[in-house]
Amino acid sequence: MSILNETNDVYSPNFDGASSLPSGYKAFSSPYLNYDPGYIPTSQPEFIFLDGGSKQRGRFELAFGQIGGSCMLGAAVGGATGFFNGLKATTLAGETGKLRRTQMLNHIMKKGSATANTLGSIAVIYSAFGVFLSWARGADDDLNTIVAATATGCLYKSTAGLRKCGIGGAVGLGLSCLYALWNSRDKLSDLRSYNPA
Amino acid sequence: MEEYSREPCPWRIVDDCGGAFTMGLIGGGVFQSIKGFRNAPSGINRRLIGSLTAIKQRSPIIAGNFAVWGGMFSTIDCALIHIRKKEDPWNSIISGAATGGILAARNGLPAMAGSAFIGGMLLALIEGVGIMFTRLSAEQFQPQLPPLEDTSQFGVNQSSSNANNYNFQ
Repeated sequence: MSILNETNDVYSPNFDGASSLPSGYKAFSSPYLNYDPGYIPTSQPEFIFLDGGSKQRGRFELAFGQIGGSCMLGAAVGGATGFFNGLKATTLAGETGKLRRTQMLNHIMKKGSATANTLGSIAVIYSAFGVFLSWARGADDDLNTIVAATATGCLYKSTAGLRKCGIGGAVGLGLSCLYALWNSRDKLSDLRSYNPA
Repeated sequence: MEEYSREPCPWRIVDDCGGAFTMGLIGGGVFQSIKGFRNAPSGINRRLIGSLTAIKQRSPIIAGNFAVWGGMFSTIDCALIHIRKKEDPWNSIISGAATGGILAARNGLPAMAGSAFIGGMLLALIEGVGIMFTRLSAEQFQPQLPPLEDTSQFGVNQSSSNANNYNFQ
């Protein structure tokens, strides 16, 4: 029952392992560690990190950050595009002063919000697929990423006809495969340097 | 999912922006699907198509508005935490009012004041309800006084007058 008296247990006072400490000292002979582990109640978890837990944060935890990030990225890119478009359009139309300023603001806001909404919606759909897949499969790996991205592309373009839907899925598949390759580049380089001989 | 906690401050802005976007997209999707269903011409197929069209057209816009609100709110909240060096309900209320005011800045001063008031009231309500729930749920965790022990058995030379007082010697 008790492992107290086993001589290979470093926590036990009967530990017989060779010690570099001066004679009379035993390795780890702290009075606080010197008790039968059977006394610890096993009804509650004893680990800080659970054994089966994934090493990184789950998809749901990352989802909001990803959505917000892609939304902000879309706003920034769209705002910049709108700024240049507005600059071109107002110069062509010969607008100056207050009129030009308002037109510029309109261009920036319109293009920025449109791009941000598009990217954000795609991120929401992708996150929903990813969370659902990792929940259903009980695993969180590159396959989830690829399947979720392909499904996202299909769903986003699903109302535009079968051909566009396929193109969207292909774009998602390609991007996610690139990401998966980049993500596992360490493993790939290991594979290349592996010598079977 | 089970260990969800808030991010530290600069990243909280991105997180809140994403959360608000998701909320807006899902909420707006539900709302617009009903609206599109009701406003479409008769026939169940046409109604479903109208519902889908309304979701596609309007719910990203609603989500974007939500995201702007959430991001601005969180930015001001973080700035207030940095300036005031503390986190309390006033931060949220002030940033709610400021967000409402700033986002209505293009509509003139009276609209700004109205939006700021509404934003502040909304956040005050949310914070108030949160505090109320905390109070209610804290009541069952109130520490109870330990029963007074009879210490007379420990000290033989103790006088009977301070028999009930603790004596840590």
